[in-house]
Amino acid sequence: MSRDYGLLDRFRRQASEPERSLIDGVLRGTISRRELFRHGSVLGLSLPLISRIGAAAGLASAASLRTARAAPGGVIRVGMSMPSTAIDPVIVPDSNGLAMLNQTGEFLAIDGPDLVLRPALATSWSPNKDGSVWTFKIRTGVKFHNGAALTAKDVAASINRLADPANKSNALSAFTGVLSPGGAKAIDDQTVEFHLDAPNGNFPYIVSSDNYNAIILPADYSGDWEKTFIGTGPFRLEKYTPKVGASFVRNPDYWGEKAIPDRTEFVFYADIQPQILALQGGDVDIIKQAPVLSSLAVLNDPKFNVISVPSVAHQQLHMRCDQAPFQDKRVRQALALTIDRQKLVQGLLRGRAKIGNDSPFAAIFPSSDPSVPQRKQDLAQARQLLEAAGVGKGFKVTLTTENWLEIPQYAQLVQSAAKQVGIEIALKIEEQDAYYGDAVYGKSDWLDSAMGITDYGHRGVPNVFLAAPLLSDGTWNGAHFKNPQYDGLVKSYVGALDLESQRAAAGKIQRLLLDETPIVFAYFYDYLAVTAKNVTGVEVSAMAQIYLDKAKKV
Amino acid sequence: MSSIAAFLGQRLGWAVMTLLILSVMVFFGAQVLPGNIGRAILGPLADVAAVTALNHELGVDRPLWVQYWDWISHFVRGDMGRSFIYHTPVFPFVAASLTKSLALALVVCVLVIPLSLAGGVYAALKAHRAADRIITLTGLAMTVVPEFVSGIILILVFGVWLRWLPISAKWADDAGLLGRLDHLILPALPLVLILFGYIAKMARAGTLAALESDYTRTAVLKGLPQATVIGRHVLRNALLPTISVIGTQVGYLIGGLIVVETLFNYRGIGALIFSAAKAKDFPMLQAGVLTVGLCYTVAAIFADLLFYLLNPRLRSGGAR
Repeated sequence: MSRDYGLLDRFRRQASEPERSLIDGVLRGTISRRELFRHGSVLGLSLPLISRIGAAAGLASAASLRTARAAPGGVIRVGMSMPSTAIDPVIVPDSNGLAMLNQTGEFLAIDGPDLVLRPALATSWSPNKDGSVWTFKIRTGVKFHNGAALTAKDVAASINRLADPANKSNALSAFTGVLSPGGAKAIDDQTVEFHLDAPNGNFPYIVSSDNYNAIILPADYSGDWEKTFIGTGPFRLEKYTPKVGASFVRNPDYWGEKAIPDRTEFVFYADIQPQILALQGGDVDIIKQAPVLSSLAVLNDPKFNVISVPSVAHQQLHMRCDQAPFQDKRVRQALALTIDRQKLVQGLLRGRAKIGNDSPFAAIFPSSDPSVPQRKQDLAQARQLLEAAGVGKGFKVTLTTENWLEIPQYAQLVQSAAKQVGIEIALKIEEQDAYYGDAVYGKSDWLDSAMGITDYGHRGVPNVFLAAPLLSDGTWNGAHFKNPQYDGLVKSYVGALDLESQRAAAGKIQRLLLDETPIVFAYFYDYLAVTAKNVTGVEVSAMAQIYLDKAKKV
Repeated sequence: MSSIAAFLGQRLGWAVMTLLILSVMVFFGAQVLPGNIGRAILGPLADVAAVTALNHELGVDRPLWVQYWDWISHFVRGDMGRSFIYHTPVFPFVAASLTKSLALALVVCVLVIPLSLAGGVYAALKAHRAADRIITLTGLAMTVVPEFVSGIILILVFGVWLRWLPISAKWADDAGLLGRLDHLILPALPLVLILFGYIAKMARAGTLAALESDYTRTAVLKGLPQATVIGRHVLRNALLPTISVIGTQVGYLIGGLIVVETLFNYRGIGALIFSAAKAKDFPMLQAGVLTVGLCYTVAAIFADLLFYLLNPRLRSGGAR
């Protein structure tokens, strides 16, 4: 491993404080190549520059991601579940509707399957000294599908629109406390400044594909997106029929590499079973999202390719910290100790998941502290804890949850795990509407139940998981967890610009949550898509986006 | 002719009453579904302020009777309202899916009515012999196989293994008539299987009763050729109850095919109603249910009318 210190010194002299700390971390060996790429991209270093830093520091380079370009042509057909609402980038709330947005729309940056941000409509970005102002440079020569040129004004308007409560924006929760309406300012045609409410080291993720609503629209967009699907992307709309499907054609004026397929077709289905049959019968080439339990027929069939993307989507098992029987943290720890996570991942999720350690810091996040010991099943310790808490004979409690994906089966496994130490769990499994209720305290089984399981989708950074379900004033705090020390640690984590201080704060948060155990994070499940064997070049994100511009049928 | 007018007038009066009651039931029944409309549309994680704003915009924060009156008074004037979810008029959705449902129902009827009538009558003519047993038993067996089972088997055989027929309704809506028929056969088959046994059984029972009746014996004894006896005396009487049965099945064929429509991704009105109910898109749900109700009532009136015209006891004149 040879190092080019001269080159590294030159980088260091030009670098900002967080960038210098990143380079130092690489040299000390505390930051791996993957983490260098990921964090460097957040700080706005270009990928070639990061590669050169990595090479100078003696890190082995990975094989080039670029594949040989296929000849253009072909039609790619995708089966997917039906979007739940009208397709309007501002309000789309679901994993099916959001996949429509990125067919024609583009983001400032794309969060890849490796959680590394890649430039898209922004060519570069950088924070000020404390991370409270981020400056984005906007790509030149980009045109909307109506021929108008993309400028910084469109970018600022798109983001301000999402941050404005008056617009029923689905992304409002992501911007609350981060960016107020008007905080995005066009400085000149190619420069946008984001003036944040508070320092935020992970801000670029909030305006990347990670925030699926944040495609860039014309500044004068007025809410009729379904008519045009206007965007800047490699495809443009051919035809959209609500509840039926959509088709797209190659955009010949695209700024980047032109799309390979001539056309793409998306067919909406009411259920997963017909999608599987359609894939088997050759009616579609791809199933966009294949939940593991209902897709076993194709997941294990060598006639199909499974695209498996590591994700931090998970099911939170919360216990109310403010009332019996879970107000004593020993009882919460005991329950968490009854679960055999490895078995859960193998049995329930057929191995397509990673075990969790009762905090949102999944191993895949570079800022997670890997030195925190993994909680394992330990029934003896669980019994001791219950004894010490004065409930050695066990107790009865109701677990309320939603009928969604594998959650009912997970609830049954938790039920039988807890039974081993005398905790009798009664299950109350409701339809999603009934479980979420009005989604405010006092009017929601989700937020009011003694114990519940709630689904959380993928996020590129753990910020949302750390805030809404766990902060003292969090709006989704079903566990009713109130801990000032935790609140302070989250603040310092969110504000931390460099990876090492993020990781230091993360380690403290992980240890605190492991001790307090307001929520059991037992596993983080992979995102699965399935394609026919002859289809290549399909890219999906854990966020449920699908990119077909490099897709090819052979 | 005045008796037929009175008959029709009475039937129409009942139909209007039925639809009115149906409108009340579907409107207030929908309100019982748990959860909040704005919340259902914006998703569980949306901001409370956004949910309140949307509820106000949709007008679902008004008293229920005001909402009902607003809806039904527009509906009778032909305005089905606007979808909560798609922010566009409901009518094109209902019209498109009704067209598809009618197409499927038509294909099913064209296949199943001649088949099952022929099967039933033939079974009756060969009563208690092998042919009768085979028709009756297979018909019965197929009737009790739910359509999601027969549907999957048919898909696996014809769509996945043999690849003779396309599995799901095609996205390209502008396919020619043949292209469409191609896509209709597989979804129609499970329904044909279900209805065959039922209709054939009715036709067989009616034919048997007619064959054993006095007037048939008289017709035979007065020396009429067998074809005339069957065609003029037996079938006419035998098929009366069968017509009522077919009439009631049309309602099911149009509005009740959620399973088949889901399985074959056929965007009929059953699937429309089901997805509207799940998404709390009440204008869509109500318009869909009332439209199915309307079709059902029309089919029932039509069956009654046919029954009336064929039944010598209900009208003047008879078979000569």
